[in-house]
Amino acid sequence: MNKLAKWSKQNWLVWVVAAAYIVMALTRPAEAARAASLGVQTFVALIATLLTVFVFVGLFQVWINDEFIMKHLGEQSGIKGLALGAGLGTVLHGPLIGVFPLLQALLAKGAKLGVVVAIVSTWAIKLPMIPLEIRLFGWKFALLRNGLLFVSAFVMAPMMEWALGNGWVDRFRGAPEEGT
Amino acid sequence: MNLTDYILIGIVLVLLAVSTLKSRPKTKKALKIGAKQFWNVLPFFVAVFGLIGLLEVLLTPKMVQAWLGSGSGVLAPFYAAVFGGMATGPPAAVFPLGQYLLTQHASVAAVSTLLIAWVAVGTVTLPAEIRFFGARFALSRWALAFVLSIVLGLTMGMLM
Repeated sequence: MNKLAKWSKQNWLVWVVAAAYIVMALTRPAEAARAASLGVQTFVALIATLLTVFVFVGLFQVWINDEFIMKHLGEQSGIKGLALGAGLGTVLHGPLIGVFPLLQALLAKGAKLGVVVAIVSTWAIKLPMIPLEIRLFGWKFALLRNGLLFVSAFVMAPMMEWALGNGWVDRFRGAPEEGT
Repeated sequence: MNLTDYILIGIVLVLLAVSTLKSRPKTKKALKIGAKQFWNVLPFFVAVFGLIGLLEVLLTPKMVQAWLGSGSGVLAPFYAAVFGGMATGPPAAVFPLGQYLLTQHASVAAVSTLLIAWVAVGTVTLPAEIRFFGARFALSRWALAFVLSIVLGLTMGMLM
């Protein structure tokens, strides 16, 4: 019973979505079926990516030692750490939800909060999409928009560090295997 | 599955091979950690994809267009941030939508905001973010990204 309560607390969205589907199925069954099939399609399209992400997370935790992360992305890494994080964010691929486990592992290994924020910020830059953007909106628009997004990472990082304070990252350090 | 997926899988396979050559027990441990974490978050993933399906059905492109087209005035970038933030579609989908909106006399600021919020805000992944990083991190980042998408959108509107 206690276990179910704890599970539900972490996975409350499961119940919310299930309830929403039940309501939809009773009132508008055709649309509920279409929503479910769209959800399944999205899931199937991304399952390979999600699986590879978790294989990568496992390898990362076994092979990358804490000193390396602390030196290049840690508290003392300064603007170089932020730039490295911002660069890393632009090449990360897949949905944000797949990036979270990786960021959590980074925090556990001693990466700085600002670096993680920089990665999430520049994750919004989709390098493979830039040709498409240029074709539809032109060079000026595409370069300006992506340039502004990149710069914004360096604004977001200190703001988040300020908002969360110093002690916030402590709970992530160590214990990387739980995945909570 | 697109090209980037295959590249990603290829990279992971190469890494796995190298890892196995270097140390079998360590590789086994890595796979175990990965599998355990995946298993832990799997119910959550299922719920998120269920939610994505619901939103795609309930939130039509027509609705988005009605709010961002001409006539919404200065509120357009704000609406754009709200819509973009709730969006769940692939990033590639927003570019044609944005271009179409421009031809419908939506403002550059609104369309830029939409493009940015579409990927940067992530309201649908907010529960996941809370689960991984806690409410304080997730809500602060969400709020900052929301404001930032409007600020960047307005900046784009001025510069273009």
